[in-house]
Amino acid sequence: MNDEKKISSPDTTEQENTLTLRNLKVIFPNEAGVIRAVEGIDLDIKPGECVALVGESGCGKSMTSLAIMKLLSSPPAMIRVDELKLNGEDLTLLSEQKMQSIRGSQMSMIFQDAMTALNPVMTVGRQLDEIFMRHSNMKRKEAKEHSIKALAMVGVPSPELRYKDFPHQLSGGMRQRVLIAMAFACQPKLIIADEPTTALDVTIQAQVLELLSDMQRKHNTSLLLITHDLSIVANMADRIYVMYSGKIVETANAYELFKKPLHPYTEGLLGAIPRLSDDHHEFIQIPDSVPHPMFKPQGCYFHPRCRYATEECKCDMPPLREIAPGHCVRCFHPLSEKGEDK
Amino acid sequence: MADIQNNPPLAQEVDEKGNLPLVSVRNLSVHFPVGGGFLFGKKKTVKAVSDISLDIYPGETYGLVGESGCGKSTLANTMLGMITPTEGTVYFKGKDLFGVDKKTFTEMRRGMQMIFQDPYSSLNPRFDVLQIIGEPLKIRGGYTDEEIEARVLELLRLVGLSDKDLHRHPSDFSGGQRQRIGIARAIILNPDFLVCDEPVSALDVSVHAQILNLLMKLQKEIGMTYLFISHNLAVVKTICTHMTVMYLGKMMESGKTESIYKNPMHPYTQALLSAVLDIDVDNKKERTILKGDIPSPIDPPIGCRFCQRCPKAMEKCKYIQPETVEVEPGHFVACHLCSGERV
Repeated sequence: MNDEKKISSPDTTEQENTLTLRNLKVIFPNEAGVIRAVEGIDLDIKPGECVALVGESGCGKSMTSLAIMKLLSSPPAMIRVDELKLNGEDLTLLSEQKMQSIRGSQMSMIFQDAMTALNPVMTVGRQLDEIFMRHSNMKRKEAKEHSIKALAMVGVPSPELRYKDFPHQLSGGMRQRVLIAMAFACQPKLIIADEPTTALDVTIQAQVLELLSDMQRKHNTSLLLITHDLSIVANMADRIYVMYSGKIVETANAYELFKKPLHPYTEGLLGAIPRLSDDHHEFIQIPDSVPHPMFKPQGCYFHPRCRYATEECKCDMPPLREIAPGHCVRCFHPLSEKGEDK
Repeated sequence: MADIQNNPPLAQEVDEKGNLPLVSVRNLSVHFPVGGGFLFGKKKTVKAVSDISLDIYPGETYGLVGESGCGKSTLANTMLGMITPTEGTVYFKGKDLFGVDKKTFTEMRRGMQMIFQDPYSSLNPRFDVLQIIGEPLKIRGGYTDEEIEARVLELLRLVGLSDKDLHRHPSDFSGGQRQRIGIARAIILNPDFLVCDEPVSALDVSVHAQILNLLMKLQKEIGMTYLFISHNLAVVKTICTHMTVMYLGKMMESGKTESIYKNPMHPYTQALLSAVLDIDVDNKKERTILKGDIPSPIDPPIGCRFCQRCPKAMEKCKYIQPETVEVEPGHFVACHLCSGERV
């Protein structure tokens, strides 16, 4: 259970982070103006931890993940980062060639749409072989053995037969399993899962999520889970970063965040989720929509949609403050200070 | 045969308020031929919808729940007359939708409209808002340009957009705003029946509630009847009065939303409800996770369609199709577990 976890126990802080990211900025200049996709993001992921990055579309969460993998091409993107370390190794200085050997072996990615992430003209087995041959210097035969083992591990029935299948012959859930097998193939330290279940049905989603957290526990991998769905996060993540319009607005461990959200946006997101236990006949809504990344409002980016906004919020961007140990919020008037109103 | 299927062809049942159903679907089956190669290929059929019956009463919201490929969109399209059924038929306001002449059919179709899932592909990018929303009026004919513009402006305000949006193009709008345009287009002809095919699944979480509240507000103001297709069981619970759970083209369970959520009888409904992730961190429930995938509707199992994934499957489920039984008034279940108690 989450509540048994200590908020910041000393031995975990001493441990080296799997991923350290400091002040990441991604901007896209074009003729019409500058799109500031990511504006100064700090992330820390500890070994074996599942960290979730939550936000709506266009908030820059996918850009963050691509920047961590150094998969953004520049131009058009302009990336600035103060620190990007994987297991203490500085990734900012590495050449593209070095990065290629790190991607897949030390950190890997699970993409949202398995159909486009897999090569349609190669059998899934061959695609798995490639990883072993590239990163572990295996011969084809040996790689095949490993691939079949990897397929069996993610629960693909009759892996010897599925090894010869093309992606289109598999169902959506199976394809996602293949992607998970590929991500875990070289036992990387960090896996970034970008909306791993959005394209799937509810019952299949449950299967895939269970598999993902199972694999994570077994291999003691760190997982960065990128999603817009707080209900997935509630069941998987240890710590949560909430992103809005390119900035982190709140970070806390999962239990704290769901119990006591401090930022009005987090409160709104939590309220907007319909629950089975609800009895009311209206949905709680956040007015308006996410600002266009080229025309972000002055002051706090959330103030036009915020029902607690004051004059102060309209002029200045609030800093990210630590309210409780491990619980930071970017708001002048965090909800706890207004008393326990629900 | 089961009681629900022995109904007279013309729907006569009334609800508690004495209303006749607005839309009645009777023993509807839709099969599509597939494959059948060039010379020797064997012709196969996809049984998208098999033997579905349901009644939708005026003013209610009817939920249709199921995983992708279970035939819920096919069923909705057939109810709108866009697909001709293989068997069975649809009654709209008591008239057989597929038994009338073309002119009457066109008129009937005006009373039923649709909101699509993806607001990005369902609006013509080269039209401005006036053209998009006004198009149904133009096709219907008999309106001057001023009248159309006045009506479009009225609808823009109704769905929460402003007058100055009139000459903008879809690319200027966010997903939620586009869906509002789609809703305005659907209701401009004052339909009685509106099919909402996953209206929020392509939108951001914070916009979900806005669109759903708008739909509920419109229903109250205009008095429309909705068929609400969704895979989000929590949403269905909040807005629907009656619902049907489908699996592989078959009805698994149907009835009042309240009684289904309180007392889900079919193992599939139970599994669906259990698969819904909750954000309640205090009491995490034990979840039953279904094994396997949805089988292809080309060769559905001969017995119960759900038998391969059912955690409670018995030997007879593989060979005998379960009959639909009424477990409590208005609550129908197609499962051997429920019929067994009665026999």
